[in-house]
Amino acid sequence: MLYLQLFIDGVVSGCAIGLVSVSFSYFYATTGTFHVAHAGIYTFSAYFAWWLVGVGVPFFGALALAVALGGVAGYLTQRLLYERLARNTASPLVMMIASIGLLTVLQNVVAILFTPNIVQFDLTWRLSHLSLGGISLSYPQALILVSSLVIVTALILFSRHSALGKRIRAVTSNPDLAEITRLAPKQVFAIVLAISSAIVAVPGVLIGVDQALQPYTSLLVLLTAVIAMIAGGIGSLRGAFCMSILLAVVQSMSVAFMPGRWSVAAVFGIFIVFILFRPEGLFRSRFSRAF
Amino acid sequence: MTLEARNLVAGYGDKSILDKVSFTLNDGEILAFFGHNGAGKSTTLKAVIGLIPVQEGELLLDGERIDKLPIAARLDRGIKLLPEGRGIFPDLSVKDSIDIVAQRNCTPGGSKIKKDDVYELLPNLARLRNSIAGEMSGGQQQILAFALALLGSPRCILLEEPSVGLQPDLVEDLFGKIREICARLGVSAILIEHKIASAMAIADHVMIINSGRLVFNGSKAEAETINLWSYF
Repeated sequence: MLYLQLFIDGVVSGCAIGLVSVSFSYFYATTGTFHVAHAGIYTFSAYFAWWLVGVGVPFFGALALAVALGGVAGYLTQRLLYERLARNTASPLVMMIASIGLLTVLQNVVAILFTPNIVQFDLTWRLSHLSLGGISLSYPQALILVSSLVIVTALILFSRHSALGKRIRAVTSNPDLAEITRLAPKQVFAIVLAISSAIVAVPGVLIGVDQALQPYTSLLVLLTAVIAMIAGGIGSLRGAFCMSILLAVVQSMSVAFMPGRWSVAAVFGIFIVFILFRPEGLFRSRFSRAF
Repeated sequence: MTLEARNLVAGYGDKSILDKVSFTLNDGEILAFFGHNGAGKSTTLKAVIGLIPVQEGELLLDGERIDKLPIAARLDRGIKLLPEGRGIFPDLSVKDSIDIVAQRNCTPGGSKIKKDDVYELLPNLARLRNSIAGEMSGGQQQILAFALALLGSPRCILLEEPSVGLQPDLVEDLFGKIREICARLGVSAILIEHKIASAMAIADHVMIINSGRLVFNGSKAEAETINLWSYF
């Protein structure tokens, strides 16, 4: 039963990281920009929701507003930062350094506006549990599980079947042609970062409810998500999500077989195996923007 | 429609590639544009569509200066580009590619070539509707690229090596279509092409560029009286 519980915990944790990975991958595959500040939007949205709950806004209202804030922050980041740098033909390295700068700014804004301390949501239900055949699942964990499956499925369906989703795929696969066929790639990049940032607000808030909020630790979450994206196949949303779950399950179950401090090493071990033996990732991707 | 370049200078960054290139393209005319690799053919087309800035000189469409306009404004005025070897969206099916480009380029009742017209003009595409563009043969991809360049209200199509990857019989077929569409819809074209005989078969006018300078600019009849290769 211990193994099953560790497995379930791993799946839930993987679903949350999967949302970070999928949203990061969606933007990276489309633009080629290594958007480190994704971790900052994750944190900022989470603290914003925590503050809203603190002033009496119902949780789901706070979550919706945090998602909206994430979307707006992402849109503005593309328009005011990346687009201007691209206009000045900034290299990918310069873009990444600018993104790291924005992450630092966002983390400090969180510390100044809200609090630099580790905080928890003041919600009575966050410690309640569901028991399913001896398996225990907290309400926040159940919420993470359901919401991540719904969001990832919706994003994949949106990408495959909606007109905007197809336009985004067109821009991703040939941005130069998109420019001369009026698909407005700059506008698409801003929309994609708005979507990605709105999505990343969800795990930001829900992991915060399940565990706690810390202003400076989101980079570790992003690192795991990026590893999942690479091992899953850059540009493959399905690959990023499945690999996030696999990595989190390995990390969770490894504590049953080895000291807990080795669990992160197990994740990186899997990553190295993938890089050596299947560098194209779990799901081969047709995205031309892949490395 | 008249597209006119007057002493056009253009290039990349501070470097100029074109050296005062001048030409005139009239309604329904096909201009075959020859020159060796790196001579400035693609640079000329990029300057016309707006992918690189015009450093000096003027570019006029029906007397209106367009050299300062952004790409979108030139596309609005009917200038279209079929880029060499990268004119498709490899990830999308033929149907999705045409739908998306038509959605952004065609207005109900106001466009010369809508998506149904493309399938009618290029019937092979209809059979490939569900094929993924990146998985099709080079010839099929080129036909799709041509279709995407046609959608909307083209007045001047800039064609960059459209025969690349095509079998000889498909080249004749494609060039025949280009001639037919230009004549039927009054669309003019600038055709960069290494298959000189195929291009000459449909051209009205010929230009040859060498090291950024036009070394020949005349009618097809004039071009036929000279040894074109001597200009390379």
